[in-house]
Amino acid sequence: MKLHPLTSLAIAGSAAVVTTAAASVPLSLAVMATAAALSFMSGRGAQVLAASAMILVPLCLALFMVHGLFFPEGTTVIAQWGPARVTIEGLTFAAERASRIGAAVVPLLVFSCTVSVPDLVAALSARGVSGRVAFVLAATLALVPAIGQQQLRIRQAQEARGLVIRRHLPSRIAAFRLQALPLVLSLVEEASGRAQALEARGFVSAARPTSYRQVQDPLPQRILRWLVLLCAAVVVGLRLSSSLPGGNW
Amino acid sequence: MTEESSVLRACVEHFTFHDEAGPVLTGLELALRRGTITALLGASGSGKTTLGRLLGGWSRPGNSGLLSGVLEVAGQILHFEGTDDDPAINAAEWARHVGYVPQDSTTVLSMVRATVGEELAFGLENRGVSPAAMRESVQHVAGRLGLTHLLEHSPTTLSGGELRKLAIGCVVIMNPEVLILDEPAASLDAEAAAGLVTLMRDLAGRGTAVLVLSQCVDALVRAAGHWFLLQEGSLSAGGIMAELPDFTALAAAGLVVSAGCGGVGSTPATDLPVDAQLMPDGSAHRALPPDLGGSKFPAAQLTDVQFAFGPVARQRRPLRRRNAQRAVPPNTVLRGVNLSLQAGEVIAITGPNGAGKSTLLRHFNGLLQPDSGSVLIEGKDIAGQATGTVAAAVGLLFQQPRDQLFERTAQREVAFGLSGSAGTIAAAATHALDVVGLSGASSRHPAELPASQQRLLALATVLARRPAILLLDEPTVALDGHGRRFLVRAIHVAAAAGAAVVLVTHDVDFAAEAAHKTLVLSDGILVPAEP
Repeated sequence: MKLHPLTSLAIAGSAAVVTTAAASVPLSLAVMATAAALSFMSGRGAQVLAASAMILVPLCLALFMVHGLFFPEGTTVIAQWGPARVTIEGLTFAAERASRIGAAVVPLLVFSCTVSVPDLVAALSARGVSGRVAFVLAATLALVPAIGQQQLRIRQAQEARGLVIRRHLPSRIAAFRLQALPLVLSLVEEASGRAQALEARGFVSAARPTSYRQVQDPLPQRILRWLVLLCAAVVVGLRLSSSLPGGNW
Repeated sequence: MTEESSVLRACVEHFTFHDEAGPVLTGLELALRRGTITALLGASGSGKTTLGRLLGGWSRPGNSGLLSGVLEVAGQILHFEGTDDDPAINAAEWARHVGYVPQDSTTVLSMVRATVGEELAFGLENRGVSPAAMRESVQHVAGRLGLTHLLEHSPTTLSGGELRKLAIGCVVIMNPEVLILDEPAASLDAEAAAGLVTLMRDLAGRGTAVLVLSQCVDALVRAAGHWFLLQEGSLSAGGIMAELPDFTALAAAGLVVSAGCGGVGSTPATDLPVDAQLMPDGSAHRALPPDLGGSKFPAAQLTDVQFAFGPVARQRRPLRRRNAQRAVPPNTVLRGVNLSLQAGEVIAITGPNGAGKSTLLRHFNGLLQPDSGSVLIEGKDIAGQATGTVAAAVGLLFQQPRDQLFERTAQREVAFGLSGSAGTIAAAATHALDVVGLSGASSRHPAELPASQQRLLALATVLARRPAILLLDEPTVALDGHGRRFLVRAIHVAAAAGAAVVLVTHDVDFAAEAAHKTLVLSDGILVPAEP
């Protein structure tokens, strides 16, 4: 079954909200595992994995550095170097936070890597979302591929003039250094020209935009969307009520 | 032409870009009437594109530069004095009346639409046109431009000529009262160019004022009722088409008259080199010189090269699979290309838009590797070799100069990748710029150069490497008469020095002028061109 882009967005967003509110490590791990499995089933597993690593690895390292070494409430000390103490409580706290962030990030990355951007833009336009907002969203999601294509063009031009790029990392880094400045300059120049074209094609028109692309939105999916959003709202409500005096969550 | 009957009128006392000292346009007046086709002729750097962008609302007074003069569109008159109090042009409102297709056709495209059909509909979407009406318009315009079979394709997969047709379609579909086409025939094959002439006539018949900006006197220009000649920012001559000056006067103005400029129209060649001869069969092709290299290997040899875009194709294939037996996959572009290219030989390859000519050229230097078959350069199979290594023997002029130019100055651009001492590199770069007539532009940013000079600069980057094999993808596009002479001379000098040259072009007259033989890429294989 092909999911409507707003259904995918609702599921991914609700998963992020529910896992954040529930603050349960098993639930967070289960959500991450499910999202990862879905990404591999869709053929985008490697892309999601790479993007997740880029975001989560630095974040998790920071969490474990801060809470793993400097957790004031920690009592069970595993190791100690001067003022830095590695405690079980600190590591547990860092692991909980990391799993919660992971459970929010991975589903949203699965969504952004698997969603059909044109379908999403068409779905938003059909719901009266401003053409500018829809375009900015589309351009943002299409930015990475566009930059990749531009970088490929520059790399090919340089290779055609003798730049030899080996497979090993230092060679690739050296090549990228040569491509970085031309890449930025060309993107700026292209953006300037594109802005003129967009204006000329009525992009800033006051008229409510229509959509050439039609996206099917079956009734069961509309119901599903409301259900997952309702579920997320209920979980957040429960969490808030439990936080009040007398709550026990 | 009277003011009353014109839908667009420009009276330019002077127009100066913010970052330039002197005016680009001075003392010109132009009025476009409904239902007419007008040709604005001018060599590279004459101000043609600047005027086109000004009339098309892409260069707005105040934003891009200072205008002193009057612009009038659809009865609304705007006076400019080059001050902060000048009226501001609303680009969207201007575009309701005037449609402009720039020389770089990809600029028009939003590039966030997934298919050609959606890209065509982008402007209509912004106007709130109903889906049913949009589909009808898209089908109609796609049919007129020969894009129907590409409606579900991604714009990023189109060839240069197909992209130009798409850009024209994106503007025509908005049904402007004035249509301005900047070098519209560039990269178009003969059929597409002829179709564009018919479209222009039909639009004019329905009341549209069509303005063609061109540095080539071709069939599109000859379809116009009136012509003007722009030189150094001013209109120096004009009249009805029957009064178009003779070849000598046009060539002296830097215009191209001798070749197709996109496969349409033709008058006899101009600058045939001294070694050019007619073939025994009477064709205009040059005679093949005696063996220059004395090598036992051809300069390049392609054997049964097959290639398909899509899942089966990759940018690089480290291992060659010779003569692999399998079913022909979809999106196959090359179905078994065989070609043997000798040192000193110049071969032209033509074919319809989207035939795979640029794809074929990229196989010579390893930017693309065949799914099956082999590519031998100077007797060595380049399968698995880095393109940068192959580039020592093979130089490629890309179809779009912007794909080739990435440095901050013309001098740095040409010097990139050259080996030797700093002095040697600088001397080689300076010489290459001189060969293409750009010695005065060495410190300019490549993006600031007119399109013709960008093409020549890209050519200089290739020539500076003195490759044994010279690959030129649509080298005449955007070149005016002066630039074309530099190009032809460079090809003949390179061939005389022993370089093998492959030209991909839609310009059949240029092919005949510059090459020893012409081949046609048709249905994925190379066949000899019909005499």
